[in-house]
Amino acid sequence: MTGEPLAVDYYIPIILFLVMGAIVPIVALAAVKIISPLRPNRRKASVYEGGLKPVRDPKIRFNVQYYLFAIVFVIFDVEVLFLYPWIYVYASEFMKRFVIFGFINMAVIEMVLFIAVLVVGLLYAIKKEALRWV
Amino acid sequence: MDLGHYAPLGAEALITAVSLLVVLIGLLSKGKSSLPGYLSLAALVVAMGLVFTAETGTVFFYDSLRVDGFSQFFKAVFILVSLLVVIASLTRYNGRPGGDEYFALLLMATVGMMVVSSAIDLVSLFIGFELASLSTYAMAAFDKTKKNLEAAMKYFLYGAASSAFMLFGFSMLYGMTGSTKIAEIASASLAAFNPAILIALIFVIVGFAFKMALVPFHMWAPDTYEGAPALVSALLAAGSKKMGFAAAFRVILIALLALKLEWYMAFAILAAVTMTVGNLIACWQNNVRRILAYSSIAQAGYISIAFVVLGVASEGMTGPNNLPLNQYALAGGLLLILGHAIMKTGAFIGTAQVASIAKNSEDPDDISNYAGLGRRAPVTAFCMTIFMFALAGIPPTAGYFGKFVVFGSAIYGGLVWLAVLAILNSALSLYYYLRIVSYMYLREPAGPRISESKGYVFSLLLALIGTFWIGVLPQGFFNWAMQAAAALLP
Repeated sequence: MTGEPLAVDYYIPIILFLVMGAIVPIVALAAVKIISPLRPNRRKASVYEGGLKPVRDPKIRFNVQYYLFAIVFVIFDVEVLFLYPWIYVYASEFMKRFVIFGFINMAVIEMVLFIAVLVVGLLYAIKKEALRWV
Repeated sequence: MDLGHYAPLGAEALITAVSLLVVLIGLLSKGKSSLPGYLSLAALVVAMGLVFTAETGTVFFYDSLRVDGFSQFFKAVFILVSLLVVIASLTRYNGRPGGDEYFALLLMATVGMMVVSSAIDLVSLFIGFELASLSTYAMAAFDKTKKNLEAAMKYFLYGAASSAFMLFGFSMLYGMTGSTKIAEIASASLAAFNPAILIALIFVIVGFAFKMALVPFHMWAPDTYEGAPALVSALLAAGSKKMGFAAAFRVILIALLALKLEWYMAFAILAAVTMTVGNLIACWQNNVRRILAYSSIAQAGYISIAFVVLGVASEGMTGPNNLPLNQYALAGGLLLILGHAIMKTGAFIGTAQVASIAKNSEDPDDISNYAGLGRRAPVTAFCMTIFMFALAGIPPTAGYFGKFVVFGSAIYGGLVWLAVLAILNSALSLYYYLRIVSYMYLREPAGPRISESKGYVFSLLLALIGTFWIGVLPQGFFNWAMQAAAALLP
């Protein structure tokens, strides 16, 4: 895009999406409002909990441990995700140029460093008992 | 392929490795070992040596980090600040539960700042910014008192908002120019100027201005510096704030090349308002840490005069001795940053000392606790006095020399009104600095004489030596700053 004037044409689909995105919910909600009969009662207005009678107030507090688990999970999830493109680069001709001591691929060293940092974090989480459910 | 190629990044590698090691030691010893503090101290000293001996002018990781005079100057400032804070923290945190985490976070924050100072790519700049910010968010709440948590929450919310602004600006710059490299963005925007680039730059500058605490983005600073642990406030005011300047100086290059408009006027107003508001509000504060916070806002205003002069300095404009004016102004900004980092760290360590003896008072940082400090804690009081004078810009201290060069560059750049305003502001600032000094020496002591903590005294004295060294023998530091400026603005 360097140096050339902005072509507005590129943006017309996006504007169309925006306009349609705004129209569809309005039309859908309005249609429901007009067509459907509105006869509320207690059972209908209650909170949906799998079809059963709700047992308590839905506004409960989540245990902070959910977050700890979620954070640790996300970190290692991303790590695995990151390994896939890494494999592709590792096997490429390009990385053959970056070999030290004759046989160690730089990509391996970088991945070992990356995982080592995460492992220290995992050890920390385990030792601090962040992963023990209480 | 040769690993020696990465030698100039040895300081970062060392500090990162030691920060992980500190975490592991803390886990194995259940936080009781006093090794983390001393290990961090040793790592920072060695890293300082590595920064000074590193070969400059090399680029790493596909043009995303550059080791040059500019980055080494800032790295030296960051390591110096962390070193002073670590020495002062030894008695307070080392060997206590959680001490290992404190030192690990401090080292990680230092690495983040160092990455920012050598980043020439917007992505690595952002990563460094976030590493330093996230570590300091946690540190601001470290003692877990109610005040700490409030300070950390405010810091976190403002910091998150500023990151969002910055990132939005970065994404727009990338969208306009198709590159995240600062140099490529600069040349692309020079080739085809687009008003959207101006908007993007405003977003980026607002993001940095939050970190630099320029008015009107300064609201978080006094509350955070007051509420966070005093030693962490030292790191925030002296280290993390300078990181904002390092990033702004790097990115301002784009603005310099792309926008030869009257944009410097916006920065001139920002600088003038920042120093005036900072100094005026400081006069009404009774909490010493709030006074220091507002004084650091005012100092940010003085430093941003360098941006203004960079904006007006055209080809061939020269300062004294035929030095190029833009380099002269940037060198002045750098000297002010170096001096301010040392003085502010010292002053905040002084408040930590006072707060530790006035624990039972309702507000440990209230100015009434400083009454008669000259007799209660002579070393702390003396050092604090010198730092106050240095912050006001009295010769022969670091504060004087930095201000001299910056204000001088404004006059050479034809911005006499700004220089006059800055000098008037310095005179005004004497009021609240001397108020603290008069409390320390002219009032009856608020309590008996106390024994000063060794760690605090040692780092206060180190900061004192630094303050005088720059003030008395400025030539070497000036040459160093000129070299750093020449690396950024050839």
